[in-house]
Amino acid sequence: MSPLLETRGVWQRFGGLVANSDVSISVGRGEIVGLIGPNGAGKSTLFNLIAGVLPPTQGSIMFDGEDVTRLPAAERCQRGVGRTFQVVKSFETMTVIDNVIVGALIRNTKMRIARQKAYEVLEFCGLAARADKLAADLVPSEKRRLEVARALATEPKLLLLDEVLTGLTPVEAQTGVELVRKVRATGVTVLMVEHVMEIVMPLVDRAIVLNLGKVLVEGKPTEVVRNPEVISAYLGDRHAVGA
Amino acid sequence: MDTQFAQRRRRDLIVALCLAVIAALAPLFVKDVYVQNIMVLTLMYAALSQSWNILSGYCGQISLGHALYFGLGAYTTALLFTKFGVLPWFGMLAGGAISAVIAMALGYLCFRLRGHYFVIATIVIAEIALLLFQNWDWAGAALGIDIPMRGDSWLKFQFARSKLPYLYFALTLACIAWLVTWWLEDSKWGYWWRAVKDNPDAAESLGVVVFNSKMGAAAVSAFLVAIGGSFYAQFVSYIDPESVMGFQFSLLMALPAVLGGIGTLWGPALGAVILIPLTELTRSYVGGSGRGVDLIVYGALIVAISLALPKGLVSVFSWRRGAAR
Repeated sequence: MSPLLETRGVWQRFGGLVANSDVSISVGRGEIVGLIGPNGAGKSTLFNLIAGVLPPTQGSIMFDGEDVTRLPAAERCQRGVGRTFQVVKSFETMTVIDNVIVGALIRNTKMRIARQKAYEVLEFCGLAARADKLAADLVPSEKRRLEVARALATEPKLLLLDEVLTGLTPVEAQTGVELVRKVRATGVTVLMVEHVMEIVMPLVDRAIVLNLGKVLVEGKPTEVVRNPEVISAYLGDRHAVGA
Repeated sequence: MDTQFAQRRRRDLIVALCLAVIAALAPLFVKDVYVQNIMVLTLMYAALSQSWNILSGYCGQISLGHALYFGLGAYTTALLFTKFGVLPWFGMLAGGAISAVIAMALGYLCFRLRGHYFVIATIVIAEIALLLFQNWDWAGAALGIDIPMRGDSWLKFQFARSKLPYLYFALTLACIAWLVTWWLEDSKWGYWWRAVKDNPDAAESLGVVVFNSKMGAAAVSAFLVAIGGSFYAQFVSYIDPESVMGFQFSLLMALPAVLGGIGTLWGPALGAVILIPLTELTRSYVGGSGRGVDLIVYGALIVAISLALPKGLVSVFSWRRGAAR
C-alpha cells in the first residue's frame, strides 16, 4: 500500500535562499512522525508546502495516491489534510464552538449536524466546558487545543501539527502528548513539527531530522538522538565528538 | 447547549416580529407627513446598512463604495421605466441582478487587495462610476432623470399623496434584509464569512475557499442595496448622479452599522433608528444653511461611541452575550 504522504524531490527557493533542497520523505498510514531540526532547518517551509500554502519550486507532493502539488490549501483540506499553525490563528471574535463549526462544515452541510459534530470534537479535546467562550478569552494552551479541535473537525486523514507542544508548561505539554496519542488511536496519521526534542521523542514512531534544508537522518527516535550528525547540527561539532 | 443557541435564535426572531408589527402600526398614530418621511428614510437606511453589513461586517471587507450599487439600482429602475416602460418591480430585480454581477466583477479584481487598499479601491470605483453617469447623455447626464407621475398606482409603484405605501415597502425591505442576515448567520456562508474576516489563512486551511466566500457576500450585499436604490428612485421620483451615487450614501450605509455594532445582527437597525432621525432633525432645525451641522452631530456621536463602546451600541445589551461571556 502506498504511503499516505510522500514528497518527491521537493525544492523551495525564496529568491537566493534555498529553504528546502531535494526533500523526499514519506509518512505511512497510522504513523506519528516527528519532523525536527534546529532553527532555520526548513521545517516550517516543508510543512507549508505539504499543507498547500504555496506550491514548491520543484518536485511533487503525493497525498493518498494522488498528486496534490498544485492544489490550494482549501482543496487539500477537502482531501483530508488538516493543520494547525505555529502562531495560533484562532477566529478571535467567534466563540470556541463556532471556531470548530467552521471546520466541521466541510463534511456536514446541515448546521445542526455540524454543531453536534463540533461539540463532540470539543469534548474529545477537553474543551467542551469552554464551548461558549470567545476564542479571544482562552489561555494560550487552550488556544493550541482549539487549533487541534478545529483541524480534527475537518475529519483529516493526515493531521499536521506545527509546534503544538512548544511553549507549554510540562503539565500542559503532557496533556498535549496524550491528546496526540488519542488522535492517532482514532486512525488519524500525524506529522508533527517540533523544536524541542525531549517532548516529541517518546511520542513519535519515527523522526525525520532536517538541517540546512535537507533531510539529515531519519529513523527510530532512540537512534536519531544518538546520531552524531544530529547532535552536531543541534549543538555544534564539539559536542558530537564528545558523544 | 444546543437548545440554548436555538432559543436565542428564536428569541431574535420574535423580537424582530414584534418590532415589525409596531413599525407597521405606527402610522395609525403618526399622521404627520414629515415624521412619516423620516420613518421611511430610517427604515430604508436600516435595510441598506443591514445589507452593507453582510459584506463589510460579517465578511470583513470594508466597502465605502456601496453608493455605486445604490445608484445602479436607482438608475436601472428609472431608465427601464422611462425608456422602455418596464414596471419598477421588474426594474428592481434587474437593478439587483446587474449590481450583483458588477459587484462580483469588481470583487474579482479587488478581493486580492487587503485592508486599507481594498477600502480605497471601493471609494475610487464608486467615484469613477459617478463621473461616468454625470457624462452619460443617454442616462440624462448631470441633469438626471425625471420619473413621470401618472397617478397613484401599486403597479407603477408611485404615490403622489400618501407616504404610507413607501413606508410599508421600506419596512418590508428592512425585514427582508434582517431575515436574510438572520438566516445567513446560522448557515455555512455565515460561518465562512466570519472566519474569513477573522483570519483568512486559518479559514483556507479549514477548507474555506476565501475568494468565493467574498464573492458570495459581495453579490448578496450589492443585490439588496440595489433594491434599496430602486425604491429610493420611486420614492423621490427624480434622480441625478449626485443624489443617488454620491459618497454620502456610502457613508450613510456604513455609519449605522458601525454605530450599532458592525458584524452584528441588530447593529445596523439600532444604528439607523438613532442616526437617521437625528440627522434629519438637525438638518431641518438648524436650517438650510446648516448643511454641515448634521454631519458634525453624527461625527461626534460616532467618535463618542467608538471611544466608549468600540463594539457598538448592541454591546450594551450584554444579556445577549451573557451566555457567551
